[in-house]
Amino acid sequence: MKSQFKKNAPWLALGLLASIGLMLAAEWLRPQAVEPGVDLADIPFYQLPFGPDAEGNPRPFWPSRLKTENGRLIEPKTIQSAAACAECHQREFDEWAPSLHAIAGRDVIYEKAVEVNEDLHRNGIEKARFCEGCHAPGEVLAGRTNRFKSVMPSDAETEGLTCVMCHTATHADPVEGNGALTLAVNTGVDQLSNPMILAAPRDHSRAFGATQTNDLIASADFCGACHTENYDSSMSKAVSRQHVQSTFVEWRDSWYGRNDVTCQDCHMAPDPAAYVRQIRDGNLAKPERYAHNFVGSNYLMFDTALGSNLTYLRGGLLPGLTETKNTQLIERQGQATRELLRAAAGLELRHSEVADGQLRFSIAVQNLGAGHNLPTGVIDQKHMWLEVIVRDADGNSLYHSGAFDGVRGETDPDAVIWREDFRDAEGKRIPDHLTFITAEITHLRPGIPPKGEDLVSYQAPLAADVRGPLILETRLWYRVATQEFAYNTLKIDLVIPPFELAAATYSLNGANETRP
Amino acid sequence: MSKKLNKRGQASALAMALLAALSISGEVSAATDAEVRGLASVKQFTLDHNARLIAQAQLLETAVADYAAIIKAHKGDYQAAWNADKKQLARQIETIRTLWLETSNQYETIEGIVAGIPATAKYDLILDAGNPGSESEDVAEYDLPLPDGKVLKRPGNLFHGITEPLFWGMDEALVKLEVDLNGDGKISRGEMLFDANLGLGAAGALTHWSKALQADMSAWKPNRDDAFTSVVTMTPTVGDYFGEWKESQFISEEIGAFVAQSRLADVLGIMGGCKKMYFSAISPVVASNDAALDQQIKNGFEELLSLVEDTYAREKAGTQFGTEEADALGNEAQDIADRVVAMVLQAAAKNEVTIRG
Repeated sequence: MKSQFKKNAPWLALGLLASIGLMLAAEWLRPQAVEPGVDLADIPFYQLPFGPDAEGNPRPFWPSRLKTENGRLIEPKTIQSAAACAECHQREFDEWAPSLHAIAGRDVIYEKAVEVNEDLHRNGIEKARFCEGCHAPGEVLAGRTNRFKSVMPSDAETEGLTCVMCHTATHADPVEGNGALTLAVNTGVDQLSNPMILAAPRDHSRAFGATQTNDLIASADFCGACHTENYDSSMSKAVSRQHVQSTFVEWRDSWYGRNDVTCQDCHMAPDPAAYVRQIRDGNLAKPERYAHNFVGSNYLMFDTALGSNLTYLRGGLLPGLTETKNTQLIERQGQATRELLRAAAGLELRHSEVADGQLRFSIAVQNLGAGHNLPTGVIDQKHMWLEVIVRDADGNSLYHSGAFDGVRGETDPDAVIWREDFRDAEGKRIPDHLTFITAEITHLRPGIPPKGEDLVSYQAPLAADVRGPLILETRLWYRVATQEFAYNTLKIDLVIPPFELAAATYSLNGANETRP
Repeated sequence: MSKKLNKRGQASALAMALLAALSISGEVSAATDAEVRGLASVKQFTLDHNARLIAQAQLLETAVADYAAIIKAHKGDYQAAWNADKKQLARQIETIRTLWLETSNQYETIEGIVAGIPATAKYDLILDAGNPGSESEDVAEYDLPLPDGKVLKRPGNLFHGITEPLFWGMDEALVKLEVDLNGDGKISRGEMLFDANLGLGAAGALTHWSKALQADMSAWKPNRDDAFTSVVTMTPTVGDYFGEWKESQFISEEIGAFVAQSRLADVLGIMGGCKKMYFSAISPVVASNDAALDQQIKNGFEELLSLVEDTYAREKAGTQFGTEEADALGNEAQDIADRVVAMVLQAAAKNEVTIRG
């Protein structure tokens, strides 16, 4: 045995050396792994008008705070359209497709508003990365939010917040906001064919469902990265930071934030209104599952009575949808939206008296069900107002505040209105969301905090011969856009209808009736 | 032996190099001749469109002058003018808005070139993109004289800064009288009489500056950079117009008061021009180092034109497009236009072309 080993040892040693040599050669010859994504330098004619960051690094997506994990832009053809995901995840697609997230980058009102802003300055398109970072991240990350679009288009970029954009997130900064998300959209996806996914589902699940991502997208921090918006000199005329949208902080500092009732709990519950009522009743159990509808407050984009005008407003049909199916999904979500809105607010008469020929009364406007201010978001457009009518025993109107002119689409300018105003450098109100020339944000009345209320007092003169009992009718209205904005951006004669959040009628001798 | 071989080798290498050089210079020369002819067509196309801009601006000025004459006939009393000439004033405002859209579209077609040529860039600020003097950057450097003798100092660009908000009643400060323009018994937003003095001054300025642009553009000597710039700035407008067409198919009369008319005729005109520019001035350059890319771009132009021609023919024949079909056609056209532009830009980068604008 020993002698045999001795005899063959040189050959064995030679074989071993040859093997090592071969392995080294193979390693040396192996093509280097290509870093996924696209280098900034490989995007011809990409404009960087905002310069580098403090460390001298380029900021390709600025003024949006969006980033990719490996710092590279995305290769559009590697980003799956939601329609492709739907081949296996049909239920999730059907939930997501009617949502505002799906049409975030194509809704015509948004698109026209961006165009108007872009026209304000020579580098307006690059400034619009600020808007598109949250509304159309696929377009921004591919380098197509640029005056010269040298990158090929793709379906996924037209889908707003499409599947991949959330399911690859690895970091979020909800206080910084302005799209402060990092997406592993180059490195965290697989390129497996459907048969391969079926053969090895865990690989697919690992790619899109990395623990880090799953934990993050279940948190309010993730939502806050876009639902926090601040203007600075990069995209506006503000000389100091102006808080435009503070939804995350409103939630964080509220009872809901302290009790871990998250954005997802309400807005992704299968029946959001029922869940809000459950929370109002003190039951903090989490929903049985999280649906991808992201039910919110924009009732207009679900108003199927608008017919094909609604298709126009929503920017056409998403890839993977027929007109019939689109309408069905929108109708279903519209119902959920209206119910959620009606679960949010309440009205209560707190005080009334007649003295010195004056009727004085106070109404408490209550935020009963929203885990953020009411209204919230960018509320230069989305706004709320209170209508009150005092009638005598014969039904004659004695006092009316907050009337809505359904013909012109305008609200009584003296109404009690919860709205923020954009103002230009000379202090003039900008009614049509011109972010790029906004210098300051002021509030007519700030939103009502969660579980809070705003007491509104009125005083109306009463003639001596008025016949009682007096009837007080109150309605709390909500509207997703001002008429100036709709007209100036779309130039169409579309009156944006208001939505009744709550209503109550009081007999000033004590009998009350409220709805909903 | 080896020396002989060496000499023979050197001779043959030299001969091959000479042949290669001759063949390359032949290609370059052919490309240059074709390019020169193409560049002439780029200039002609641009001048033609600028001439159309002037013609439209003059029509607009005449329409605003007619409007102003009605107001003047009533000594500047807008209420009296409205009481006396409701129908004519309403018709006149509708005409003014239609002409404004046409004039603005003519400018949009050549905007990329105007903004890109250093000698004409100031006109882009004056006509379409410049800020008022209160801003610190990109100010439209001109003053606007008005018929009543006032002069507005650096008031901002004429299309979007002054005339658009004026003619559509978007700035309440410029609304003289709210009226029921369409006679439906209600006064909606945008139904108003605008300031005739400002309107006439601004419309006159549009004509004036369009003519000044034509004069400076006539002296322009287009080069390869300009040819690429023109194609990559004009072609996306085709996608935009087709997108507008798609949207207009969804809108019902109920809200369709001011929506632009079918843009397919515009699309055909502009696309035809872009195709001509590419085929004559740019294709020889691109093909000289990437024949496959050149062919892809040409196919894109052909595909887009045939899609537009077919859709336009069907529309003229009375076809009513359903939502799904209009959406699909609009998306397809926008997608092809986007792809063509992306490929032309990639070719521009490959050929070290500077894109301005």
